Amino acid sequence: MDTEARGATAAGPRAAARRWTAATRALFGEVPAFGWLLGALAAVLAEYFVGRPLARALGIGRIPLLFGVDVALRDPWLLPGTVAYMLLVYALPAAAVARLSVTVARGITERLLRLPVGLSVLVHLGLLYAGLHLWAGINDYRLLVTRLALIAIMVTISLNVVNGYMGEFSCSHPGFMALGAYVSSIITVLFFVHDSVLGPPLLPTAVGPFLFPLALIAGGAAAAVGSLAVALPSFRTRGDYLAIISLAFMFIVKSTIENVQLIGGSRGFMNQPDWAGLPTVFVWAVLCVAVTNNFVRSTLGKALNAVRDDETAAAHMTVNTRRTKMVAFVFAAFWAGVAGGLFAHVMRYVNPGTFGVQKLAEVLAMLYFGGLNSVIGSIVGAVGFTLFSEALRPLQIYKWIIIPVLLILVMIYRPTGLIAFREFDITRLVKPREKPGKVEHVAAAD
Amino acid sequence: MSRKPLVAVLALVLLGALVLAGCRPAAEPVIKIGINAELTGDIPKVGEGTKFAAELWLEDINKAGGLEVGGKKYKVVLAIEDNESKAESAAAAQTKLITQDEVLVIVGPQASKQAIPAGEVANNLKTPMISPWSTNPRTTENRPWVFRACFLDPFQGPVIANFVTQEFGFTKAAVLYDIASDYPKGLAEFFKQAWEQLHGPGSVVAFESFTTKDRDFSAQLTKIIASGAEFLFTPQYYDEVPLIVRQARQLGFTKPIVGSDSWGSAELVKLAGRDVVGLFFTTHYAAAGAKGKTKEFIDRYNAKYGYVPDDVGALTWDAMLIVQKAIQDCGQITGDLAKDRQCVRDAMARIKDFEGITGKMTFNEQGDPVKSAVIVRINEQGEFEFYKSVSPTGQ
Repeated sequence: MDTEARGATAAGPRAAARRWTAATRALFGEVPAFGWLLGALAAVLAEYFVGRPLARALGIGRIPLLFGVDVALRDPWLLPGTVAYMLLVYALPAAAVARLSVTVARGITERLLRLPVGLSVLVHLGLLYAGLHLWAGINDYRLLVTRLALIAIMVTISLNVVNGYMGEFSCSHPGFMALGAYVSSIITVLFFVHDSVLGPPLLPTAVGPFLFPLALIAGGAAAAVGSLAVALPSFRTRGDYLAIISLAFMFIVKSTIENVQLIGGSRGFMNQPDWAGLPTVFVWAVLCVAVTNNFVRSTLGKALNAVRDDETAAAHMTVNTRRTKMVAFVFAAFWAGVAGGLFAHVMRYVNPGTFGVQKLAEVLAMLYFGGLNSVIGSIVGAVGFTLFSEALRPLQIYKWIIIPVLLILVMIYRPTGLIAFREFDITRLVKPREKPGKVEHVAAAD
Repeated sequence: MSRKPLVAVLALVLLGALVLAGCRPAAEPVIKIGINAELTGDIPKVGEGTKFAAELWLEDINKAGGLEVGGKKYKVVLAIEDNESKAESAAAAQTKLITQDEVLVIVGPQASKQAIPAGEVANNLKTPMISPWSTNPRTTENRPWVFRACFLDPFQGPVIANFVTQEFGFTKAAVLYDIASDYPKGLAEFFKQAWEQLHGPGSVVAFESFTTKDRDFSAQLTKIIASGAEFLFTPQYYDEVPLIVRQARQLGFTKPIVGSDSWGSAELVKLAGRDVVGLFFTTHYAAAGAKGKTKEFIDRYNAKYGYVPDDVGALTWDAMLIVQKAIQDCGQITGDLAKDRQCVRDAMARIKDFEGITGKMTFNEQGDPVKSAVIVRINEQGEFEFYKSVSPTGQ
């Protein structure tokens, strides 16, 4: 983009940038989501087949794991090689395939449109998963980071329901995660694993993976029940009071677990079976996004916004404010609990210390970085924050200067987060794009 | 709209990359050692000690022109990762070190909260790991690839109980510990068990707890004083011990206070001043009056970084030397990482009577060292003075 801007200094950089945007839009404007997914798949396939030899030829040795940031930070001499790798392996195939497959992609999307929307969405998700699977399959580290990012998405979205859509400030999410993590872990270990404390498995291990979802749901349910302990006494008040009560709840959960010897106390609980692979975590994350998205766009979700903006007015508009808030809070706690259960089975070890103030700060950062009142914002926030904090690893302590500065910048220039107050319309996403006529005209005149 | 600039940029970048790649000397075989440390988060001092000790070790290797394995010298590279004192971050860092940096062996993490999940990763991916400081039995339990360099709490508890019994002849003990932190809690329980075995049930007359970050212990201390205990055992960290000791003295508790290896930080005396003079605690090594290799290490560390190393630094130093010995015992570096890692692990498991600065070590089948504990006394100058050594085989 820089060269382009320099080449057109006569018209000023701003005009050049505008022309560049117009040109990009002319080129890619009609590429539907399907086309982009195909492009991403092509990029990942390119990496899968030629990534290693190409990385060696460019002198970076190994496939850069998180878009090359870690490689370039560790050894600045490798920066050109990394950029070249990114262009050749990711940008070029993705752009080329997305552009060239426009007609095909449009045809497929149009055909899919005649079928139920759900099916179309499923096809898109299938493509997305295929890309993700290949990308994460390159390396165990990517696999772990991907799973943690998906779990972060679930936690952030569920927190967004309370802090964004409902407009309260709740601090109890780590507590809900802890409840979910411990309850689902105890169930899986008690029933399916030979443990030194809980004894031999009560059920054959072979059926375990099939009953694992039930364990997760039980974890979510435990968190939901726990959330009532916050909701019942505190929903008569607003604002700071809820924040304080929910913070107290988080500490109560942490201290309680620390004092229960049977599940390891502060030494933590381990031996969880290895069932939270990428497919499992992906399915749950998608489920969470879909259900939450439907929830916040439903009448109840709109009522939630009404309660946030003016509770008295909402009550006069026949909104049952108490019930609305309660449902939303319990709903959010449930998903935080499920996410906690998955987290425990990804790490295969949980420790009450994990679910403390540090976790809370992390989740809040993801939420406010991504954007309030927006499902897509939460996804961006969770993934962005996770990737940032992993990619900046080579900077060690300085990472904790850069990330807070970034957060401050976001708060100054976009006080509600990067992508706040935006609806995530899945049906629009899977539709074919129309040819951007006006932009086409500009591009033709160029 | 012209697309020429884009193509030009692409070509330029590619050309530049290839030229740079060509200029770089062909990679010579190196030995990569991963360090997974708590550089940020709750316990940055621990991470710093780890890093410094490891870098000091690397200095020695570089001075010698590399690490000699099977008659050939190899350059050694340290890959240092910060685990932010978080369990999930420790696992991610560990995975990255193993799969991306392709390290031969990993030293760290230090705290059990991080070492347990990281040990799981190392064991699954078949990479030898040694945690210098983690005392939780589960770190190495049923994990053939995971080792540690320190003694465990089930050993330290009885050592303290025996020492107090023999030294002072007391029969009534009081314990004050942090219930929310796994290390103090575990040790408090092991001590209680050992004490009651020696003096019968009920001989621990006060077993009081508090929660991390508590700063006022007067309620617990009042109970302890009222219980008629003859001494107080508190396995707490250096930031809490000064408060506990000072508040105990203010409340009129004049009897001895005994501690554990978590006391062993230079910060302790800085914070507590004269209050802790004359007190005893068990630890891995004694800095004051050290001789030979131990003194050499302490002096070098002090000269370079400006303070006497904590036990974390000393244990990391020993862990690095164990790693060095294992690599050298292995005899050859084939370049086949899986084979080399297996070889280093086997060599590490075979190590016998290793003379470290924190004592003589032999690994048992769990990967835990059988080694002596040291009892130190805080002398008038505020130094940790060697008092007695207790071997695991008895007195």
